Amino acid sequence: MNRAGPNRLVSLMVDNLIWLFVIGAFIAFSLLSDRFLSPYNLGNILLRSAAFGMLVLSQAYTFITGNFDLSVESSLGLTAMFAALMLVTSEAGGWGWQLHPLLVILLMLVLGGLIGLFNGVLITKVGVNNLLVTIAMLFVLRGATYGISPGTSISFFPKEFTWLGGGTLARIVTDDGNFVLSVAGIFVILAFLVGHIHTRYTQFGRNMYAVGADADAARAAGINVDRVVIIVYIIAGVCAAFAGLLQAGRLNAATPTMGANLIFAVHGAAIIGGMSIYGGRGNIIGAFGGVLLWSILDTGLNIMRVSPFWIDVSRGLLLLFAVLLDALRVRYQRNVQMRMALAASTIGLDDKEHSDG
Amino acid sequence: MLGIRNRHDLLELGSRHFIWVVLVLTAVVFGSTIDKYLSVPNITNILITGSVLGVLVIGQALCLMARKLDLSAEGTVSLVAVMAAWLMLPYREQDFAQAGGLGVELDPLIVIPIILLLGAFVGFLNGFMIMKLNMNFFIVTLAMQLVLRGLALAISEGAIMPGTPAAFNWLGGGRVAGIPVSVIATIGLYLVFGFVMSRMQFGRKVYAVGANEDAARASGFSPARTVILVYTASGFLAAMAGWMLLGRLEASVPTLGVGMTLNVVAAAVIGGVSLKGGEGSIIGAFAGVLFLAMVNNALNLMNVDPLWVNAVRGLIILVALIIDAQKSRYRGRAAAPDKAKRAEANQSAALS
Amino acid sequence: MAEANLKTDEILLDMRGISKTYPGVQALEDADFSVRRGEIHGLVGKNGAGKSTLMGVLMGIRDADSGSVAMDGQELVDASPQTMLDAGISYVPQHINLLNTLTVAENILVGNLPKNRFGLVDWKAVNEDSQARLSRLGLEMDVRQPVEGLSVAERTMLAIAKALFANARLIILDEPTAALSRVEIDLLFSFVRAQQEQGVAFIYISHHLEEVFEICDRVTVMRDGRIVGTREISEIDVPILIHMMVGGGVQEYERESAAGEQTVFEVRGLSRRGAYEHVDLSMNRGEVLGLSGLQGSGVDELAQALFGLDRLGVGEVLVDGEPYRPGSPKQAFESGVAYLPQDRHRFGLVQLRSVRENVTYSVLDRLVGRLGVLMRAGEQQITEEYIDKLGIVTPGTEQRTLLLSGGNQQKVVFAKLAATQPHVLILHEPTQGVDVQAKVDIFNIIDDLSAQGVAILIISSEVRELIGLCDRILVMYEGRITDEFSRAAKDMRPEDILLAIEGGRNVGDS
Repeated sequence: MNRAGPNRLVSLMVDNLIWLFVIGAFIAFSLLSDRFLSPYNLGNILLRSAAFGMLVLSQAYTFITGNFDLSVESSLGLTAMFAALMLVTSEAGGWGWQLHPLLVILLMLVLGGLIGLFNGVLITKVGVNNLLVTIAMLFVLRGATYGISPGTSISFFPKEFTWLGGGTLARIVTDDGNFVLSVAGIFVILAFLVGHIHTRYTQFGRNMYAVGADADAARAAGINVDRVVIIVYIIAGVCAAFAGLLQAGRLNAATPTMGANLIFAVHGAAIIGGMSIYGGRGNIIGAFGGVLLWSILDTGLNIMRVSPFWIDVSRGLLLLFAVLLDALRVRYQRNVQMRMALAASTIGLDDKEHSDG
Repeated sequence: MLGIRNRHDLLELGSRHFIWVVLVLTAVVFGSTIDKYLSVPNITNILITGSVLGVLVIGQALCLMARKLDLSAEGTVSLVAVMAAWLMLPYREQDFAQAGGLGVELDPLIVIPIILLLGAFVGFLNGFMIMKLNMNFFIVTLAMQLVLRGLALAISEGAIMPGTPAAFNWLGGGRVAGIPVSVIATIGLYLVFGFVMSRMQFGRKVYAVGANEDAARASGFSPARTVILVYTASGFLAAMAGWMLLGRLEASVPTLGVGMTLNVVAAAVIGGVSLKGGEGSIIGAFAGVLFLAMVNNALNLMNVDPLWVNAVRGLIILVALIIDAQKSRYRGRAAAPDKAKRAEANQSAALS
Repeated sequence: MAEANLKTDEILLDMRGISKTYPGVQALEDADFSVRRGEIHGLVGKNGAGKSTLMGVLMGIRDADSGSVAMDGQELVDASPQTMLDAGISYVPQHINLLNTLTVAENILVGNLPKNRFGLVDWKAVNEDSQARLSRLGLEMDVRQPVEGLSVAERTMLAIAKALFANARLIILDEPTAALSRVEIDLLFSFVRAQQEQGVAFIYISHHLEEVFEICDRVTVMRDGRIVGTREISEIDVPILIHMMVGGGVQEYERESAAGEQTVFEVRGLSRRGAYEHVDLSMNRGEVLGLSGLQGSGVDELAQALFGLDRLGVGEVLVDGEPYRPGSPKQAFESGVAYLPQDRHRFGLVQLRSVRENVTYSVLDRLVGRLGVLMRAGEQQITEEYIDKLGIVTPGTEQRTLLLSGGNQQKVVFAKLAATQPHVLILHEPTQGVDVQAKVDIFNIIDDLSAQGVAILIISSEVRELIGLCDRILVMYEGRITDEFSRAAKDMRPEDILLAIEGGRNVGDS
């Protein structure tokens, strides 16, 4: 109908705010530091935040349905520790099973999925608040990680296990240094791509959006809401297990604190990427933008020898800025709608305050 | 006196005082199985470990009662602790992850008001952004947490700053007549805020705004002012907690308070403060804190592998939450959940 | 849709002998109701006439005690929402429930999106498919935009379209025009007529009788749980319809006027863009003034603005001769104006809190002692006083208001207002959703307050109640006060007032 031009432009900009931020940050760091654009650094951007990226993906899934999963950071730690114990000898602190790495990977993914299933069932079938369940699970899983660990870190894993997190696909030698194409970086991109296709192009993915937009309306459309939510939690758990695999692979070690206190930064990345905690909004590609932005800030500030401690400050401020813009957009749209409604009315024309609007 | 007339009243009463029943049971079970569990030194110990958590829980409970959440409180704890040490300690080059302060060496009596004001200001800022700029409370306080935590790390450059002055440490580590000052202060704060919430105008407004913002406005209250005050109080209390914690440790650790928010929310909810606002009491929240502190202590004394303590504690929280969910389910059936009731009312009103 | 049957005398829906009793109330008594194929059938009646119960039975959300429902001559047994949907009966509520963040196309095809040969959603097909479906219904809208960007009329049409895609043959429209401008109403009506021509039948529920005459083929009138009659629209006019709705019945309540001489409340030339214009009214001490109008006539907006919940606009308001421009409800209370909101659950009560707290919210300032401490004894006294005065049935002052009955909840809100000892009391639909006994109690409360000199403005669509209660009744139509009736002039006849509410024009004749 009569959509105002500027309104559309503003909407378009706010909807794609994350990419403006990503490009802006990229350009800014390129100008501020000549080492930012070095091949080594570019190869590093995604590698460093591969595990983080998988956690963001898990949150993007739960956010779409209007849910949370705070426990994923602990799932990361537990699955990694679980895998480590199955991999190494008892002298190295493990259980001495020395299972085949592929079997271990499979088992850790199953563990992640089971944790998700448990969360999902408690939330949908038992009716516990999703925030509280996952907070409690965050403690339980972190505690279990400490519990099963020998109290220290476990390291030196078989190559097959570390390949995904620490492996290299190609190394391009240039004058400025080496560009390393990491397996983990490619994996994260693929994972987000699969996530995008899944949420955008499958019936299940669209059902997720419907559940997030309005669970009652979704139910009325014949969607099994509980089933969707449970599966989403399972997916989130599996993503967290992948994050554990990537992290353990990159460090070639598993420590009981792995992943601890990451969750709020993860939420920040997903939200600045356009996901809404109220569900039904945003998309996986936007969430990937959030990961990129966080990662660029991380490496960029690092390269500029800014104390790494400013990273969280800058992330927090950016997040505040994004929420502010969103609040302003809502206000602006409401004004436009009110104006349109008023313009259609002939009542009370002598109210000068609004008649010129 | 209790006015029990039927099963529903009994359940309502039981659910309201549920946490106290649990608390007594916990004390009896641990007291009879663990040697010296109910001895004075051990009870003191329980209270000391519960005090910082307890102070934070007050602020969080206020936010929850107003149907909000404050994820930034743990960031405030970190920042004020680092700020305080930074302002008080003499300058020293960093080595082995230890450092001195800025070098201004301010007197604790100046620093304490500064950090308390800082905490209150952070809270005010949260409230202002949420109510005046219509920004989402979850995201605002989440972002604020990142900012505060980052500032704490940036100022301290990740180093530990040991050796805070005795006058400053008094709150966290001092004793009066053998009783830890932190315990006295925490109980004092609970009494004050318990009184404020149950007997003063401010408390009445917080509950009303949390339970039904529109009706609160139509009753002549200003939700914006109320919520901003709640966040300001929450920030102030977080600064108190930071002061207390720093005093106990006598050294600022930049990761102080990390991960505390989740414990704090859990304690408040176990103590009967609803996430849906408008319900619960400060005294109940205190019970929640005591419960967590008692369980922690018992797990230590029972020689539970310290590595498993977290898991057991988490499980206990989980069980408490599941019971709580059943409770509200029952209540939902007894008095028809708001939403369904409203929907039906709308429908019949619209149709008639 | 191709095999549309245009024979309009063929019965589609046939409801026979429907009765339904609630504890203490006969909600429906032996109601017969039928709809022909391809007709738009109006269903009118005052609030509480039984329309919602009848439609509830038809939608399968309420079980009738007796009677039968048949579609196409086939009796529908085992009524549930699903059987009714399967039979082609669909309900479009006033507040439409769609997936707001998703696009129009996705809302249409939700749960069953077209896929390509890889089993992936084919968005091109989704958009084209939904666009084509809408075009077949003669509905042109950008299917790529999110539903939250649609106007109310567009949402209503989309909801109707969705019902049609689900093979609905009978669609219940519930007050579809309440929030619409005239242009939007025209848009909606032409859409509805186009569907009618394809053989779809509609039940059109509305208080706007003018629109009933505009769009309906037949109309059925309900009163006190009974079907008064069904008429061809061409055979009647608005006065006849109103007469059927009101009936001959006796007045339910009559009171002595307590109006004094002194003017306490005066509104002069108040206008707000899009809401009301040139509103003039005044009330004397102890006077009870009624104000009635359809939804959208400006009465609701006026009530909220007078209490500081919305902008007042230009013009002047005087309370006790002093200029009055409330910026917030708090200022309104301080100036001696109190307001009973229409939506008790949203604006009236804090349901989680106790009777005591709710009653004293408005007077907390008076109950504050030293250092901001509330005087518990004072609270208790005020609460008990009003529990006693208003006859609130509650186990005690500490009972959560959530657990009280509708009538008692309303009395708690009354108590909260009365506690401020207002000079002017604005009541917005005070008897909505309360039982008969509570209604009588509320009338007595109004009587008492007016006897104490409080000027009371009652905004209500219950004309019969207004006639019993009020000294004068004003009617608002399209933002203006268009008519005045008074007990003194002895012209407070329900038919005349209802006619004025409907705009005073006799559409049936034209």
